[in-house]
Amino acid sequence: MNASTTNFFEAIGAPVVDIARAWGSMFGCGLRTLRAIAMARIAWREVIHQSYLIGNRSVPFITVTLGFLGMISVYQVAMQIKQIIPDFTMLGPAFIQIMIREFAPTITGLMIATRVGSGIAAEIGSMTVTEQVDALRMCNADPIVYLIVPRAIACMVMVLMLSIYAVLVSTISGMLMANGAFDINMRTFLSLQLTNGDDIVIGAVKALAYGFSIPIIAGNAGLTTSGGSEGVGWATTRAVVSTSFAVVVLDFLISAAGYIFT
Amino acid sequence: MIEFIDIHKRFGSNVVLDGVSITVDTGQVLYIIGASGAGKSVLVKHLIGLLRPDSGRIILDGEDITWLDEEGFYPIRRKCAMVFQNSTLFDSMTLLENVMLPLRKHHKMGRKEAAKAARAKLELVNMDRDADQYPAAIGDGLRKRVAIARALTLDPQFVIFDEPTTGLDPMAAATVDDLIRSLRSDAGVTCVVVSHDLRSIFTVADRIAMIYKGKIRLDGTPEQFRNSDDGVIHQFVNGLPEGPMSV
Ligand SMILES: Nc1ncnc2c1ncn2[C@@H]1O[C@H](COP(=O)(O)OP(=O)(O)OP(=O)(O)O)[C@@H](O)[C@H]1O
Ligand SMILES: [Mg+2]
Repeated sequence: MNASTTNFFEAIGAPVVDIARAWGSMFGCGLRTLRAIAMARIAWREVIHQSYLIGNRSVPFITVTLGFLGMISVYQVAMQIKQIIPDFTMLGPAFIQIMIREFAPTITGLMIATRVGSGIAAEIGSMTVTEQVDALRMCNADPIVYLIVPRAIACMVMVLMLSIYAVLVSTISGMLMANGAFDINMRTFLSLQLTNGDDIVIGAVKALAYGFSIPIIAGNAGLTTSGGSEGVGWATTRAVVSTSFAVVVLDFLISAAGYIFT
Repeated sequence: MIEFIDIHKRFGSNVVLDGVSITVDTGQVLYIIGASGAGKSVLVKHLIGLLRPDSGRIILDGEDITWLDEEGFYPIRRKCAMVFQNSTLFDSMTLLENVMLPLRKHHKMGRKEAAKAARAKLELVNMDRDADQYPAAIGDGLRKRVAIARALTLDPQFVIFDEPTTGLDPMAAATVDDLIRSLRSDAGVTCVVVSHDLRSIFTVADRIAMIYKGKIRLDGTPEQFRNSDDGVIHQFVNGLPEGPMSV
């Protein structure tokens, strides 16, 4: 093989190897987290502290976003319906179903991915470059158990709770818009006739899947940081991009599984 | 005895160690020198399993520790302590609690007992008066001293110091030098010291090894370093701005 073909294979191969390695370290991190949880190696005080931080950081954010989302989508859809058949009875039930099944968990997941994912990557990344993670390991403290597990549990619980909250906020704001702008009866709007158990299960599975993958991906980005404070910046950016991407991919996969199996 | 045998380590395309072999005899103080980014910290972290080599072997007291798993390194980290370059303390704990941590984690010691032992170590570095302060409240130099105290809490047989005198004033630096000397002479501790501090290097070292471009450039006594006619070594030990190492 001459030099230029070697270069060619190197140019193709190096990014592939890098990507494979990044996926490997991410899945390794996820597996070690699951194992630590299974072995009940959980620092509950830290879980509560992290839950508080995640919730506290996100409630105002989600109230505003989901509130507007509820109003805007109801307005848009109602305008369309009005032009065809002015019958609004199914608007509320369909709105509530799609919120539970799709929008509340996924928008919440995306918000947590950016807001909390970046925070986790920056915090753990700066612990890594200042050798605090090494110092933990010197004290026999597994960084997965001390840093990742509490965040994973807290984030799963909080994304689920925030998704429920997001359904409530968007439904109320949607209902007020329906009532105010289109004179739709609140009782008619607030109906679960299209929502069944499957929708709730799918929504909950999505919330839990996002809640688990965000801290794993962001935490792993933090733990593999190198190169000083510049490295922390890179890790944070990488974490936001990959966690948001993961939310979208998981949304697709779980929705597809939902349609196939129900 | 510590043996590094033909250690290779790269990060992506950045080859940091390209076949490094060093032996440190028991009770010896070895200084590792080299320019910034030469791979000094990377090398010493291999000894306690914080980094794994791509190839090569690491032998500690006759035991091959190269491929131990994370839990296999727990006992190694008990007898081989490290003072990190960033004088890493945990911000959420007081200085005393920081020094107590290894006792509580490795020896599962009770709170009272650990506090007593930790206070004694803080006295060793003249930091006992500030025991209840938080790391954020004290300066960099003082943090470094507490980090040293924490490394010594388990009475290790081996201590790695990563730039222990950088950022200290000359008196504090001399205190650290004395501490290293007395560790060797009183407790027979084997020390590996990463340093740029020429004065400490030539007053404390039994042996010096210089890393340059991923390899050991020279491994010898302070005398050999002073008298070397190798341009790279001459430039480093005399702190000259011009020479083969200049970029
Ligand atoms: N975890 C890591 N991931 C990727 N690269 C790393 C990692 N740790 C170190 N490096 C790289 O290895 C090289 C050597 O780093 P090292 O910290 O050992 O230098 P050093 O000799 O200790 O220098 P200094 O005197 O500045 O501390 C640097 O180029 C650094 O960027
Ligand atoms: Mg270093």
